[in-house]
Amino acid sequence: MYAFAYERPATLAEALALLEAHGPDARLLAGGTDLIIRLRDGSARPAVVIDVKRIPELCGGIREEDGRLVIGASTVMTDIAADARVRRRFTALAEAASVVGSVQIRNRATLAGNICNASPAADTATPLLVYDATVVAAGPGGLRRIPIDDFFVRSGVTTLAPGEIVTAVELPFPDGPIGAAHTRRTRRRGHDLASVTLSCAVDATGRTRIAYGSVGPRPVLVVDESGILADPVAPAEAKAAVLETVFAGASPSPRSMRASPEYRLAMLRVLGARAIATALDRMARG
Amino acid sequence: MSRDRIGTSPNRVGGIGRVTGSQQYVADIKLPDALEVKLVTLDVARARILSIDSTAALAVPGVHAVLTAADLPQPVPRFGPQFIDRPVLADGETKYHGEPVAAVAAESKDAAEEAARLVKVAYEELTPIVTIADALAPGADLVQDPSIRPNDPLAGTNVLREHRFGWGDVDATPADVVVEGDYTFPMVTHFAIETHAYIAAPDGDGISVWSTIQHPNWLQRILAGVLGMPLAKVRVYAPDPGGGFGGKQHAKYEPLVAFLALRTGRPCRLVLTLEETFKAVRRTTTQVHVRTGVMSDGSLAFVEVDADYNIGAYADIADRVVAKGSYPAAGPYRIPAVRILSRSILTHTTPATAFRGFGNPQVNWAVESNLDAAARAIGMDRLEIRLKNVARTGDTLNPVDTRCDGEWDQSVRKAAEMIGWGSPLPPGRGRGIALGIKSGPTTGLSYSTVRLLSDGSVIVLAGTSDMGQGARTVFAQIAATELGVPLERIAVVMGDTSIVPYDQQTSASRSTVLMGNAVLSACRDVQAKLRAMAARVHGIHEASITAEGGVVRLPDRELSVLEVLKPGLGRMGGEVIGNGMARKDAEPDHPLSGSAAFFEFNCTAVEAEVDEETGDITIVKHVTVSDVGKALNPLQVRMQDEGAAIQGLGHTLMEHYIYDDRGRIRNLGAIDYRIPTSMDLPLHMESAIVENADGPGPYGAKGMSEGALLCVASAVGAAVRDATGADLRDLPLTPEVVWRALRERDRKNAEVTAR
Repeated sequence: MYAFAYERPATLAEALALLEAHGPDARLLAGGTDLIIRLRDGSARPAVVIDVKRIPELCGGIREEDGRLVIGASTVMTDIAADARVRRRFTALAEAASVVGSVQIRNRATLAGNICNASPAADTATPLLVYDATVVAAGPGGLRRIPIDDFFVRSGVTTLAPGEIVTAVELPFPDGPIGAAHTRRTRRRGHDLASVTLSCAVDATGRTRIAYGSVGPRPVLVVDESGILADPVAPAEAKAAVLETVFAGASPSPRSMRASPEYRLAMLRVLGARAIATALDRMARG
Repeated sequence: MSRDRIGTSPNRVGGIGRVTGSQQYVADIKLPDALEVKLVTLDVARARILSIDSTAALAVPGVHAVLTAADLPQPVPRFGPQFIDRPVLADGETKYHGEPVAAVAAESKDAAEEAARLVKVAYEELTPIVTIADALAPGADLVQDPSIRPNDPLAGTNVLREHRFGWGDVDATPADVVVEGDYTFPMVTHFAIETHAYIAAPDGDGISVWSTIQHPNWLQRILAGVLGMPLAKVRVYAPDPGGGFGGKQHAKYEPLVAFLALRTGRPCRLVLTLEETFKAVRRTTTQVHVRTGVMSDGSLAFVEVDADYNIGAYADIADRVVAKGSYPAAGPYRIPAVRILSRSILTHTTPATAFRGFGNPQVNWAVESNLDAAARAIGMDRLEIRLKNVARTGDTLNPVDTRCDGEWDQSVRKAAEMIGWGSPLPPGRGRGIALGIKSGPTTGLSYSTVRLLSDGSVIVLAGTSDMGQGARTVFAQIAATELGVPLERIAVVMGDTSIVPYDQQTSASRSTVLMGNAVLSACRDVQAKLRAMAARVHGIHEASITAEGGVVRLPDRELSVLEVLKPGLGRMGGEVIGNGMARKDAEPDHPLSGSAAFFEFNCTAVEAEVDEETGDITIVKHVTVSDVGKALNPLQVRMQDEGAAIQGLGHTLMEHYIYDDRGRIRNLGAIDYRIPTSMDLPLHMESAIVENADGPGPYGAKGMSEGALLCVASAVGAAVRDATGADLRDLPLTPEVVWRALRERDRKNAEVTAR
């Protein structure tokens, strides 16, 4: 690894000042599970690495505020997957957090880092889309709330402005009962990067929210109001027809090593049908 | 003490150090004043090197040297175990992705890495030959300069060697049914958890080299040749490797690091990254065409195998892999006629080398899969056709080679019973069974010295490398058994060519047999000297004394070893030194220059379930049965068999290099090259052994530890075929590969229905 400066600001204001001072030469370090790999292979060569793990404003853990669950930016996957509120009310997010990387990676990797890295294959991106999360970002001009669907642009690129730092991710508690699930395709059962990710949530009104990733430059959210997907007794053919339109936004890269576009698109349909069945089953069980 | 004898499973010698991290691997060795080395490579496969400018690199603080080919003796020294073809640094042209063009030595790793980035190499990228088809295309560029093998009629082609084996007349042998097919085996790497590492240090008028090498004596010879030094001045230290699997058999970057050490006058140290090991070692990849002729009663008429092995840019030991791997390709069966043609084909890819199984798993996948097709064609059970044809003890396999040396059908029946062959299966499941055979070493030479010290403790000197297979433990157990000493009082010294007597190599599952016999004969030499000592002390005739198992029997009483040793050595102390040797000579007229010392035989049976929608394979049960002659340490035998079986799941289910069209490996490293984790294991795995004490090793042992890998893919593929009816020809059986085979099956079924 080559030499770089390391800063560990104690306050959010200090961190923002460092970001402003160094601009594109600075990179933020939270869990480091993406950044360290890139520092080692030389694909990222920042002059300054700013460690945000000691900033109190980012360390709030998981808390309830005004009908929302707020997850502080430095909260790691292990804690999210283990949190009783997440497991009960945001099941798909708990499932996604529990399959990111390996045990050791989940002990370091943060939810905020996962979405800021903006990998199309990020496991937590699709449940956050399904749950209509909001990203809270602090910048020179103060706090800004970004709907998660407006956050992702493409791999490594978000709508976060230069100089902004994500401080938390907020999840509104659902109004009524819902059933949700997260599924993925990998090349092996042990920890792996996903070649398809998919989350869905059905609710009592018949609305189905489906988000899928790793099949295009950014994860895609589709809300189906037809009621067919959420109908436990609708025939499989009818659901398959709806899913065709749901997955119209998928455009997997032919350059990926992990799976061919043909296979990814086929698996999207398999995962979609399976995840919806799981979600319906969960809703029925309450 | 009986707990330490052979046939028991005492704690592994050196095991605590290995699991607690106190064992010193090469990368842990810190010599004072050592410089760190970084290789300079190009991000291309094949390129003509136009110029190398080291100015900026040399300006990095702490950099002591940037070695290029021009700094080496001219012509650039080349080396290799079989052909003298691999240059110490790329000589004018890089021949594969990652071939070093220069190396930097600096005070720190950071400085070496920074300087390596700053070495400016001007080059012209050339179109690489990546596949077998590329290499064999008319007018293809030559990977190897023909001057490297003068007087070779194949020198003007990319075929390094052709090997023809067989007996009988395939063309004249009638068969009721002939089944044929093409099968491929993927390019995989060893993925030893300890990456390759090297240290070289000037040592007086000689040199000392530490390496993760499996064959320290062979490395010593290579270094002496390249450096022009006598063997006695080249000291190779070979600390126990953290996994080898064949990837650490032969010299790779040791000569380069040695030249850097001599140039700088300082110890130089190179520890490869995992990504660099991917570029340094891999297994041969194979395309095989098989024809199987079978009579309607299930007896085999003939087997014909055409196997093309892609061996990469330099031969290393790969051509021997091709010959020895394809030679027993027809399997452990009685077959009237066999014809085998195998070819070693040079390409601009990572030089291939030995890999557990040594060329056999590649052809086993083809031949055993095709045998299943033959069984289906005549409507015979797949187990029955194997039992009908498998050789029995003393049967001729290849007329010029060792006859069947085991009760192989016992292993087959045991595996069939353990998997429940023939019992009903739930829908979506299938079973497969496959047999594997591998020739043991064809030549061999191992020396051992056993020193019985004055307090009755023992030092065993044995030049085997213990890379996890447990050789230290087995040798100590042999000494414990023969001399009646507990393991705590035995030290096994390995891995220092200046101290430990010569051993040819740690390969071909030979060490228990060859070095084991050498240790055994050294122990017997100690026993003979103890008898002479007892005769002298007690003034009786030597012929009336016996010594075995730690007991010296005089005509009128029994003495312990110490009771002989104390008066025998007297007040000056001293020791009893026993020497032993095991040798298997070459046979000049044999097609492999030597018949098999023994065969490794294995039967693997698998029950698998397939998800028809995704192509996922779940191995519900995996059983592996090996004929080991005699298990000297049953627990280690089991660990070796289960380890081999699990390693075999890698090339079966997920492992493969992915190249881009410029010959660069795209999935370097652990992120996109997947090996099985504990979560990918069969739901249930069982291993068993067959012991008839019919091997040539100590107490009837045979070599083992590769057998359980030979036919993993064949058994898994057969189970998937049985579960789904899908035709599988290409490994690995990733979910996508299986999914495509399922679609193809559906397409063909639809065609049949439409007709």
